[in-house]
Amino acid sequence: VSRLANQPGELINRDKVIRFTFDGKPVEAYEGDTVGSALYADGRRTFSRSFKYHRRRGLLCCAGQCPNCIVAVDGAPGVRACTEPVREGMRVEHLNAQPGLELDVMRATDIVGGPFTPPGFYYKTFIRPRKLWPVYEKVLRHAAGLGVLPKQQPDREWRTEYRRRHADVLVVGGGTAGQRAASAAAERGEDVVLVDEGPVPIEPIPGVEILARASALGYFDGIVPVWQCDTLHQIRARNHVFATGAIEQPLVFAGNDLPGVMLSGGAVRLTELYAVSPGSRAVVATTSDHGLHAAAKLADAGVHIAAVADLRESRSAAAEQLSARGIEVLIGHQILEARGRTAVQAAVVGPIGVEGASVEKTFDCDLVVVSGGFAPAMSLLLQAGARTRYDAARGCFVLDELPPGVTAVGDVAGVDEAGADADAAAVAVPPPVAGAGHGKCFACLCEDVTAKDIKLSVEEGYDSIELSKRYTTVTMGPCQGRMCQLPAIRLMAKETGQSLEQVGTTTARPPWVSVPMGILAGRPFEPAKRSSIHGRHRELGANIKWAGDWRRAYDYGDPQAEALAVHRAAGLIDVSTLGKLLVRGPDAGEFLDRLYPNRFSDLKPGRIRYGVISSDAGRIVDDGTICRIDDDTFYVTTTSSGAGAVEEWFSWWLADWRMRVQLTDLTQGLSAVNLAGPRARDILAELTDLDCSPEAFKYLDGKQANVAGVPCLILRIGFVGEVGYEIHFAAAYGEHVWDALMEAGRDKGIRPFGLEPQRILRLQKMHILVGQDTDSESTPFGAAMPWIVKLDKDADFIGKWALEHYAEEEPATRLVGFTLPNGHVPTEGAVVMDAAGAPVGQVTSSRFSPVLDRVIGMAWVPSPLASDGSQVTISDEGTTMRAEVQTRPFYDPDGEVLRS
Amino acid sequence: VSLTFLSPAAADPSAVARSPMERKAKAAGARFEARDGWNVAVEYPGEDKVPGTVAWADVSHLRKLELQGEGVSGELGEARREGDAWICRLTPTRALLIGGEHTPPPDAVEVTTCFAALTIFGPQAREVIARFCALDLRPQVAPPGSFRPGSIARQPGMIIVEDTDRFLLLFGWAVGEYMWTVVDDAARSLDGGPVGFGALKKND
Repeated sequence: VSRLANQPGELINRDKVIRFTFDGKPVEAYEGDTVGSALYADGRRTFSRSFKYHRRRGLLCCAGQCPNCIVAVDGAPGVRACTEPVREGMRVEHLNAQPGLELDVMRATDIVGGPFTPPGFYYKTFIRPRKLWPVYEKVLRHAAGLGVLPKQQPDREWRTEYRRRHADVLVVGGGTAGQRAASAAAERGEDVVLVDEGPVPIEPIPGVEILARASALGYFDGIVPVWQCDTLHQIRARNHVFATGAIEQPLVFAGNDLPGVMLSGGAVRLTELYAVSPGSRAVVATTSDHGLHAAAKLADAGVHIAAVADLRESRSAAAEQLSARGIEVLIGHQILEARGRTAVQAAVVGPIGVEGASVEKTFDCDLVVVSGGFAPAMSLLLQAGARTRYDAARGCFVLDELPPGVTAVGDVAGVDEAGADADAAAVAVPPPVAGAGHGKCFACLCEDVTAKDIKLSVEEGYDSIELSKRYTTVTMGPCQGRMCQLPAIRLMAKETGQSLEQVGTTTARPPWVSVPMGILAGRPFEPAKRSSIHGRHRELGANIKWAGDWRRAYDYGDPQAEALAVHRAAGLIDVSTLGKLLVRGPDAGEFLDRLYPNRFSDLKPGRIRYGVISSDAGRIVDDGTICRIDDDTFYVTTTSSGAGAVEEWFSWWLADWRMRVQLTDLTQGLSAVNLAGPRARDILAELTDLDCSPEAFKYLDGKQANVAGVPCLILRIGFVGEVGYEIHFAAAYGEHVWDALMEAGRDKGIRPFGLEPQRILRLQKMHILVGQDTDSESTPFGAAMPWIVKLDKDADFIGKWALEHYAEEEPATRLVGFTLPNGHVPTEGAVVMDAAGAPVGQVTSSRFSPVLDRVIGMAWVPSPLASDGSQVTISDEGTTMRAEVQTRPFYDPDGEVLRS
Repeated sequence: VSLTFLSPAAADPSAVARSPMERKAKAAGARFEARDGWNVAVEYPGEDKVPGTVAWADVSHLRKLELQGEGVSGELGEARREGDAWICRLTPTRALLIGGEHTPPPDAVEVTTCFAALTIFGPQAREVIARFCALDLRPQVAPPGSFRPGSIARQPGMIIVEDTDRFLLLFGWAVGEYMWTVVDDAARSLDGGPVGFGALKKND
C-alpha cells in the first residue's frame, strides 16, 4: 500500500515477487527488498515490542543500527528486519510479545508498572525471600529478552565457517571515502580487503577483495573479525583504514519511540532504495541541513511535509528553499512530543527556551522525521586505541589521536563523503531532553532507559557515565551505543553539572554489531589425540573417555575382571599416551642429574631408573622412568598429562644451561603397550628372539629386540605390580604389534585392560599418580619417597635448596595407604578427620581390589598417624568410617612377584 | 641398545606400517597398496571427478629425520630442496629432513612417525588451509620453498609451500584422525576431495 512509483537508484526488482510469512501471514515483496521494507510496504508499522515496557516500536534507522525492528528469521532471533534481504519462503516472527505483537499483555509494565520499575528495580525488588529467587529469575527471564533460542535446533546443521585472511590493508566501510582509500592502496600494489555492510553493491575495484554485506565486529590487537553471512573472516592486516562513517542521532522527546518516528536517513533510505513511502504527512525536526534535505526528498516522493522544526537559530539556504516550496519551516523550534496510540498521529512543536501551551503548535501527521546530528562511528577505532575529544561546535565526540597503523577517513574523521570538512557552524546541539512531562522520553531504545532513569541513577550516586551505564544498562543493548551514547552523555552532563568533556564516553567494546553465537563458535571441532591402536580399542568395545587431550580406553566393560586377568594370566594396555623424550649428547647424564633429585649419570646403558621431577620449591611435578640407551643417550618417559609440560621444562633449562644436549619429543611418534601378568613372559617370548628369562632380562632392564618383526625398546618395569614389559615402537606399527601380542596370548588368557583397571592395579602397589595422589604442596618426603632425593649428589639440581630444608623437618602430613573393613569405597577427596572432627587430610585414591577382596586407598594423614595399624577417621559426604593405615604396598609388598 | 626402534624402515617386511589416517581413508573408499612396507592409499573412487579446486593426499609415510648439531644449515622460514627431500631448519642446531631416500647422517634421529602429513593442492588449497590455520600463506609472503611452523587447527604443526598452490602439512601423529576430519570438512565445502598417491604423483 505504501509502494511508490519507480525511484532512481531503487534496489528492488519489480519483476520478481518474493513471498514469505510474518507471524504466519503471507507477505509479498520484491527481490531486493529487505524484510523491513517489505513489511512496511505491506502496511505494518509495529515491528517489535520494547525490552522492558513492551512498547510498540517501528522502523527508525533502516540501516541496521537501532534495535527497533529485531525479529526472528527461520527460528534464529536477533535479526534486523531493515537490513535482512527477503528470501522466498522465509519465516519471519516477532519477538518478546505475548500473545501477539498487536496485543502484548506485558505492556502493563508500561501502563501501571512505571513507578515500580525504575533502573535496578530487580536488585531491589526480587531479593526477598531469597528462596524465591529461582521463581523470580524464571519470570524475569521470560518477561525480558530479545527472543528465545530454540531448545532443539535441527537447523544447527547450517554451516558456519572461519576464514583467516592476511592483508596489507584492511578498509572497513565501503562508502566513497572507503572505496577511495582501498583503491589508492591497491594502486600502490598493496593487498587490500574492503569490508562493507551496506545494501548497495560496490563495483569491483582492481586488486581489492570486497567483502559485501559484511560487518566488522571488533578490533583485537590487530585482528578484525568480520561477519559475512555464515562466515567469520579473521583479518590480520598491517594497516587499518576505518571509513565507518557517522551515525545519525535521534532526539530525546516525549514519545520519541512511537512507530512513525523515524530518522531522516531511515525515511530517505526507505523511499529511495525500496520505493516505499514512510508516511503521508510528516513533521520534520532537525539540527542541521541534513533534515532539511530529507524533507525535500520526502516532499519530492509525495509526502506532505506539515512542518519543519529547525533547532538552529538562523535560517539556512536549504530552509529558504523549503519555504519557497510552501513548507512551513519553524526556526529555533524543537519537537516536544509525538502523540498517538499505536503509531504517530500528531506532533507537538515549540520554540526552544520558551515553555507553555500557548507557544506550542500541534500538527496532525503519521510520520515524525528527526535528525539530531551525526556522531562519528568510532567504536572500532576506540577499540584499536584511538582517543577522542569533545567538539563543542559539532556537539559530539570526535577523533583526537590515532594509534600507529590506523587511519580514519570520511565522516568518521570529520570529513564528509564529498571530501570537504563538515560545516560545523551549520549544526545545532540539541537539548538533552525536550517535552519532559508529556510522557516517557527515551534515551536508550534498546534497554528502555528514559531521561528520568538517568536522572535517578545520578540521584542514587551513580554519577559517572560508566557507573550509570552499569546501573541503567544504557548503551548496553543491541545498538551498542549507536543511538544512545551521545544522548546519555548529554543527560549525564545536565544532571551532574559537568561538561560533556568531563563526562566522557563509555569504553568501546566488541562486538560492534549483534552476531550469532554460532558464528563466533565456528566449526565444532575439538582436537583429540588418539593412539595408533585407538581403532582396535573401539572395535573391542572399549569405553573411551578423555584423559587430558587424549582419547583413551577407560575399560573394556569389566574393569574388575580385567584387573584380575593381569594377576592370573596376562593383560595388555595401551600406554602410548606416556610422554617420551630422547635426551642425547655428551652432557645428557649431567643434564638429567640437574633436573631430577636422584642420579642418572651413573646409570648403566640398558638399565632403567625411576625418577621424580621436582620444582624449584621441591614439590613433585611429574614422574616417570629413564632408560639409558648408550653413554650419551637417555630415553625418558613422563606421565601422560605431564608430557607437554615436562618437554617445555626440559627445553627451558636446556636453553638456560646451554649444555651439549639435544632434546627430541617422541611422544606421538612411538606407540607403547604394557604387557603384564604371570604369562607375560611366555607371550613375549613367542614373538621375539630375545632371551626373556628372569636371569637374562632382569627387572629394570631395557633391551631392544624385534617383537613380531618390529624393532622395539622393551622396558621391564612394573607399574601394575606383575611381571611386566613396556614395549615401545614406531607408532605406524601400533595395530600390528597389538594384534600380534593379543594373538600370542590368546591361549594364555590375555585380556586387554584399560585405564580404570590399571588404576586398581597400581593402587595395590601404592604407586602414586602425580596430580591425583600429589598436589602442588607434595614433596618426595611426604609422599613416602625420601629415598629418591640424593642430597649428597655433587651436582646442584632443581629444588635442592628446598629439599634440603624439607629433609630436616618432619612433614605435617604423609601419604599412606589405608584399608576399610566396612566395604565402603570412599570418594576420592573425602576428608580425613582428627579426633575432634577437624579436617587433617584427604583421601586421594580409593578402589575395591578384586584380588585382595577389600577396599584399599591412599590418603594424606598427619605424620603421627602415618604408621602401620594406626586408625584414622574418614568422612565421606556425611558418612564417617574408621580406616586402618598401611605404609607398605597392599599387593606383593616385597616386590617378589615384580622381580620374578 | 640402539635407536633402531625409532625407525619404521627397520621392521620385517611382514609388518605393515599404517598411517594414523588410514581408517579415515578407508571410510572414504581408498584402495591401498603396499609401498616400501607402508599401506598407502593409492586411489579413491571418483577421484578423477574431484574438480580442479582442491585435493588432499595422505603422505604420512614420507621419511622424516631430525638433524642435530652445529652443522645444520638453512635459513629460518625456508624449506630447501635437496633431491627429493625438503630440509627445514627448526633452530640453530636442529633441522627436519622430509622425504628423500639418501643415507641419513649418523647423528640424525628418525622421527617419521612423530609427524603425520597431508599434501593439499589445487587452486583452492590456500583457501582450505585458511579455514583452520592463521599462518600467512599468501604467495607474496610465502612463495614456494617457504617453511612455516605454527598452529594448524589448534595443534602444533608445520607447513611447507611446495609449489604455488601446493602445501605439505606436518602435524603430530596422534592428531592424524582429527586433522583428516578438519581438512575433509573444510575441503569438501569447497568441492574438494581426497586423492590417492597416484594422483599426487601426477601433480608433481
